[in-house]
Amino acid sequence: MIRDKSNYVKILLSVFFVVCVILPLIRMFANIDAASYHAVVDHPLFGTAVGNSLKAASLATLISVGLALMLSFCLARSNMRLKNMFKVVLTLPMLIPSISHGWGLTLLLGNNGILTKWLGLSEGIHGLTGIVMGSVMYSFPIAFLMLADVMGYEDASPYEAADVLGIGKVRQFTGITLPYLSKPLISVVFSVFTMVITDYGVPMMIGGNYRTLPIMMYEEIIGMGEFGKGSIYGIILLMPAVAAFIIDLLKKEQSRSNFVNKAIKPRKNVVRDMVCYLLCALMCLVVIFPIAAFVLLTVVKRYPLDMTLTLDHIEKTFNMDGGTFLVNSLIVSFAVAVIGTAVAYLCAYCTARTHGPLSRALHLVSITSMAIPGLVLGLSYVLFFKGSFLYGTLAILILVNSMHFFASPYLMIYNSFNIINKNLEDVGATLNISRPRILLNVLVPQTKDTLVEMMSYFFVNSMMTISAVSFLANRNTRQLSLMIRQFEGGRLMECAAFVSLMILCVNLLVKTTVYILKKVLKKNKAR
Amino acid sequence: MENQNTKIVVNGLKVVLGKKTILENIHFDVKDGEFLSILGPSGCGKTTILRCLIGLLNPTGGTIVKDGTDITKLGPSKRGMGIVFQNYALFENMSVLKNVEYALRLDKSRKAESRKIAMEMLQVVGLADHAKKRPSRLSGGQQQRVAIARTLALNPDVILFDEPMSALDVDTRMILRQELKDLQKKFGTTMIYITHDQEEAFAMSDRIMVMDNGVIHQIDTPENIIKNPADDYVRRFVVHNLQLKIDSLSRFSTANAKGDDSAQ
Repeated sequence: MIRDKSNYVKILLSVFFVVCVILPLIRMFANIDAASYHAVVDHPLFGTAVGNSLKAASLATLISVGLALMLSFCLARSNMRLKNMFKVVLTLPMLIPSISHGWGLTLLLGNNGILTKWLGLSEGIHGLTGIVMGSVMYSFPIAFLMLADVMGYEDASPYEAADVLGIGKVRQFTGITLPYLSKPLISVVFSVFTMVITDYGVPMMIGGNYRTLPIMMYEEIIGMGEFGKGSIYGIILLMPAVAAFIIDLLKKEQSRSNFVNKAIKPRKNVVRDMVCYLLCALMCLVVIFPIAAFVLLTVVKRYPLDMTLTLDHIEKTFNMDGGTFLVNSLIVSFAVAVIGTAVAYLCAYCTARTHGPLSRALHLVSITSMAIPGLVLGLSYVLFFKGSFLYGTLAILILVNSMHFFASPYLMIYNSFNIINKNLEDVGATLNISRPRILLNVLVPQTKDTLVEMMSYFFVNSMMTISAVSFLANRNTRQLSLMIRQFEGGRLMECAAFVSLMILCVNLLVKTTVYILKKVLKKNKAR
Repeated sequence: MENQNTKIVVNGLKVVLGKKTILENIHFDVKDGEFLSILGPSGCGKTTILRCLIGLLNPTGGTIVKDGTDITKLGPSKRGMGIVFQNYALFENMSVLKNVEYALRLDKSRKAESRKIAMEMLQVVGLADHAKKRPSRLSGGQQQRVAIARTLALNPDVILFDEPMSALDVDTRMILRQELKDLQKKFGTTMIYITHDQEEAFAMSDRIMVMDNGVIHQIDTPENIIKNPADDYVRRFVVHNLQLKIDSLSRFSTANAKGDDSAQ
């Protein structure tokens, strides 16, 4: 009989997922008791926090997706100049943690903010407005990137057919564009909503007294060590994420893959191009403002009182162990990039290139991490791994991040594997070329660019995450991103700004390297 | 054909996938050096037979005997067979030469002369000049020739073809058909060829096996199938369809002849 040896790998990976995702989650559920439940639900602020969270997340989602839709439309359907530059600048905010968005906004529009004074406003935007604005800044690039991708791949043929039939532009929009966008749009809306409602970084910085669920959870756990109550909040935060995940899954089952026949070439229209250009430029300005504020605060002595250029704040940050935390972050991010990519690659190889019920089960488990908010995964890890040799080490941070960010890179390589010729392994089997050889000598060389993209995704996200690691990091293993809160708390505003800038610079460096590497790979491929 | 030895005997082959029975009670044999086509519409089970023959699929029941040895449970690489797929399945990251050479280099007994054999095979299929190119820079027909050279390099005595010309244009098909026949003559290889194209099957085969819905309707020479179709299905799917093609061609040739007459 021909035995499929990949089954052993699949079993091993399944066990890995059970230990690293399923069991910790079960442990969190087991931590719930009636007393904690009542303590949370009967808390006078609970109802308010639920309402606040829903309100802030809904508003932020609406604005974020609306803006993303408008700007991705500008990119896909106009002939404006500098499209590539706009795309790069508009996605820059993806490289800094949510807490930095909150911090940038505080610097600009807080009670003593730079813009608050310039514009002569009586008070800052702390509270709902601040949270919504910060959350839009944080989530907009994701929505924009997803939609720009979808729009960029739209087929021109239906529009050409409509033109021939004399159907007007408005009818074309409602009859072709909207139906085409409806499914991806649902995906984007749910992703953004989940991302915003489970984030504590923005509300912590600019929320003022406006309390949201993640803030309550954070305070219960970090402030009071109430893990029982924390678990209740964890389960509540898990709900929207799981709902979004299930809807996305059902939707994907229904949708069929479609291939682009012809890319859309926008007609000549100077006015439209001008409007698009202005809109993109305006949004770029909004995106650049907080980054400019970080730079300004970092390099001048005391804004706005003493504008002398200085390196004092940088020196101070490093004197306060900023260097150690940077190294911690770099070690963790690099390890996550290597280990996460290796596991995701192997896992996708099993699910996309081998058959059987185990493959399908493994695929489902692999994408489940998408449904678990970082805070919830972090808490589960605290409860499950406490007392083990891993707890309190960099290793647990590497593990939790690898799992937290697993789904997206996994799907990247899963899709790449699926478009590579399905008969390669069969041909290999008849030519006596083993599966591992086909994997190493044929599949790996053909998926180099996806591999690079996966590593970069794991690295950048680990570098800026504040969610899963927040409960797990201790004095020795603390990450750079978690320093922003600490510096802000110690009224070291300039140091907090510099830390945000450092994270941005590291990530930008990684992204640039990846860009160059991919260009080189593409050139070699074409040879 | 009568004098030839039997190369392969398939006896009572049965394949059940999930709850669906794909093949049941399939019996046939293939003579040494024969060109056998398996002809049938999509989903009739012809590819399933091929996958069982090469060992990529374990049959639920029945046996496959090659040269008197039961190979039903043998691994795909131990059967002395090669396969050529419709979508070529070339290693895109390797040059044409490396594609042909790769499997040889892994075989200790042939490693030393792998480059020489690979170049010879490329010469046989007329692609020696393209040895250093990546497959993606070749035409569909050329890519299929690389796949054939790669299979021939391991010197199999049976080659299976899974609709190898479906993705090619008509002109290329015509040329490749002749090349395949020439190769068969040169190497004396037994060839089992899957197709849904009646004309292709009739043009190339020593015998044709007509299939539908997991059942063999007839195995015979092209002449006998035309003269004595076994049942209604064969009459309709093979003879009738072929007749339609012949009719349209003869109309064309009549029109052409008339055109020539009037020109004179």
